[in-house]
Amino acid sequence: MYPAGYYFAVAHWFLPPFNTEPWQLGFQDAATPIMQGIIDLHHDIFFFLILILVFVLWMLVRALWHFNENTNPIPQRIVHGTTIEIIWTIFPSIILMFIAIPSFALLYSMDEVVVDPAVTIKAIGHQWYWTYEYSDYNSSDEQSLTFDSYMIPEDDLELGQLRLLEVDNRVVVPAKTHLRMIITSADVLHSWAVPSLGVKCDAVPGRLNQTSILIQREGVYYGQCSEICGTNHAFMPIVVEAVNLKAYGNWVSNQLCQQSN
Amino acid sequence: MSTSPGKVASQAEAAQAYMKKGVGRKPPSLVMEIIYGISLGMFAGYLWKMHHWNNQRRTRQFYDMLDKGLISTVVDEPGED
Repeated sequence: MYPAGYYFAVAHWFLPPFNTEPWQLGFQDAATPIMQGIIDLHHDIFFFLILILVFVLWMLVRALWHFNENTNPIPQRIVHGTTIEIIWTIFPSIILMFIAIPSFALLYSMDEVVVDPAVTIKAIGHQWYWTYEYSDYNSSDEQSLTFDSYMIPEDDLELGQLRLLEVDNRVVVPAKTHLRMIITSADVLHSWAVPSLGVKCDAVPGRLNQTSILIQREGVYYGQCSEICGTNHAFMPIVVEAVNLKAYGNWVSNQLCQQSN
Repeated sequence: MSTSPGKVASQAEAAQAYMKKGVGRKPPSLVMEIIYGISLGMFAGYLWKMHHWNNQRRTRQFYDMLDKGLISTVVDEPGED
């Protein structure tokens, strides 16, 4: 067993309250295997980026350093070099291959469709709010659980809430459960995006786009509409709240009761 | 800087000039500079990889502890079950 402070340190490593911090440079913490894969791919590519950047900077600086009449009065005159030209063609190709392998592996794994998701949720984009439908559960009059999700205006925010990100009705989903999101739009193009879940799916009128999500931990995840859709495009955020299965069941029951009343 | 034709020479001629007359420094070796550059690049890349492996280790630790119930992402609100 570790001291209590150790657990606090590990938990705190992962969760500043909202997965974000001021002046943040990198990605938000991943909450799905797909987002973790995206972050890992980025790290793989960044290794080659750093290698090439340092190498090129070194050659540039050394060329400037040596170009000095006092220390090197007789400059070289290199016209061509077949060997080096072959090397600097093959070497980048090998680097590209090392980048392509994990990239295609992630791409094809993202395309795999979950055969039997436990929950299916429809997200319908409007100007300028989202509507969510949980058609798996029907109330007594066969109407599915449906609600709108509007941004909370700045004047109505409570202390601690996030400006331009909070909504009145969150998308409550069960954690550690395969979800199927079906995204569409009722008017113009929108895009349903939640960075920490690694999800971005265009909402196209007249079309159903599908994406699968598996949220690995309970928490609240924020996103924003990601396709220009008019004057309030920046004011139709998305909030996904992942809860345990029991809390999810209670929430669905409550919602269905409220809707049927 | 003077660039008159008399002073322009190939790598081999520059080295010979150095050996004969002791003029200037030994000219830089392109191959060695490339080796130095690649080594520095690999070292910088290794530092980045260490950061990446550290992140992976911390993530793995986090989820292990979460699965064992040692930590939680849910704040216990007073008055809840």
